[in-house]
Amino acid sequence: MNLKKYRTKSPWILHYNTGSCNGCDVEILACLAPKYDIERFGILNRGNPKQSDILLVTGPVTKRARERLIRLYMEMPEPKVVVAVGVCACTGGVFRGMYNVENGVDKFIPVDVYVPGCAARPENIIDGVVRALEILEKKKKDLQLTRKCTGTEELEYLLGKQLNRRKIVAEGTRRCYESRRD
Amino acid sequence: MSKELSLILTLLSPVIGGLIYGFERIVRARMQNRQGPPLLQPFYDFLKLMDKRSIMIHSFHAFMGIMYLVGTWFSLYVLLSGGDILIAIFFHVLSLAFLVVGGFSVRSPYSVVGAMRELIHMLAYEPIFVLTAAGLYLVTGTFQVSELLKTDTVPILSLPLVFIAFILSLPAVLKKSPFDIAEAHQEIIGGPEIEYSGKFYEAVYTAKWIEYIYAFFFVFLFAGSNYLLGAILVVLSFFIVNLIDNSTARVTFRQMVSFHWYILIPLVVINLMLLALWRA
Repeated sequence: MNLKKYRTKSPWILHYNTGSCNGCDVEILACLAPKYDIERFGILNRGNPKQSDILLVTGPVTKRARERLIRLYMEMPEPKVVVAVGVCACTGGVFRGMYNVENGVDKFIPVDVYVPGCAARPENIIDGVVRALEILEKKKKDLQLTRKCTGTEELEYLLGKQLNRRKIVAEGTRRCYESRRD
Repeated sequence: MSKELSLILTLLSPVIGGLIYGFERIVRARMQNRQGPPLLQPFYDFLKLMDKRSIMIHSFHAFMGIMYLVGTWFSLYVLLSGGDILIAIFFHVLSLAFLVVGGFSVRSPYSVVGAMRELIHMLAYEPIFVLTAAGLYLVTGTFQVSELLKTDTVPILSLPLVFIAFILSLPAVLKKSPFDIAEAHQEIIGGPEIEYSGKFYEAVYTAKWIEYIYAFFFVFLFAGSNYLLGAILVVLSFFIVNLIDNSTARVTFRQMVSFHWYILIPLVVINLMLLALWRA
């Protein structure tokens, strides 16, 4: 039985707002509402990282939100994809270079699809999610660590030993900060 | 019902329950003026969850999720094989207790709050189940499902208020609004099952399909040996439950318990007392 095919048939969404103006969030909810109705493709908004496949992130990453973003990403089981919705999530947008934002989601977690726009149109979001599904089908079930983390072999060793999960998340977060100081 | 048929039906119950759940998602979508997912969507979800990596919190938690499935399945087998209604009800309570213990065994606050609310759910609707069984006993003189399905009397004619109370308690059993406080998706995302993932969530997900058949089989029992009337009652109650689900918002747990204990249980008791007086 080819299970890879079924990944694209029921993708469940986790939606996280890293400090956006709520414009993109409203557009994502418009996709789920009766007019665009993405439930006909089996897409559900679960709001639970443990049971989701697609992480939809909106907004420039504020310094308060980055730990939660990394933690949510690490709590999602493989295979998973990340979609950055809106210009703020892609590059930082009008907030780029400010002292309290981190200029985009891809500073912390690997992004698979970028959906531009301020706010992103529902049609573009649906298109982005469909592109993400193609990537989801190709992804492996194996563990993938965040791109910016350094010394991943050691972290994989820690995960293999089934240590305390809080310690692993804290370790991953600390390494992400360290790699950003360059 | 013969032994073989009941065993086959019990083994097929996840398939039947999945089809009911898929049909319900279409009905719910049409009521909201949407297209809705395909009929086989629950099975696509099932196969996808089989493919996901499952993160275990600890082995006891995962084991409780699987025991929830086993307990629910066994209570359905007791019903389908013509056993005692009370034993089926008590096994259903036991399977929910497994879910509650699993919810309490992790440190996630959402899971613990969800488990507490699940206990309040059981407090609200289990008396109605037991009183329904008592009402069926008063009319037909037996607790055995196999005897109930052969009686000459039609229990719903003697138990109209019990039937209304049972239909109104179905949203709480199936965890639908206005009584979906245990798995409030917008608030405590899934309640006791929030920490399950991958294959273990699959067990919990399948147990919910089996609960559908379990709950609607009780509706079927209200028609006695008249199977056509039973099928009509099941379809009617299915649409009523979905209509209520779509047209109401969530209430608080106090309102839910007081609705069940001050309105539905007195309705059942009045019916049973009138029945006893009429008999005497």
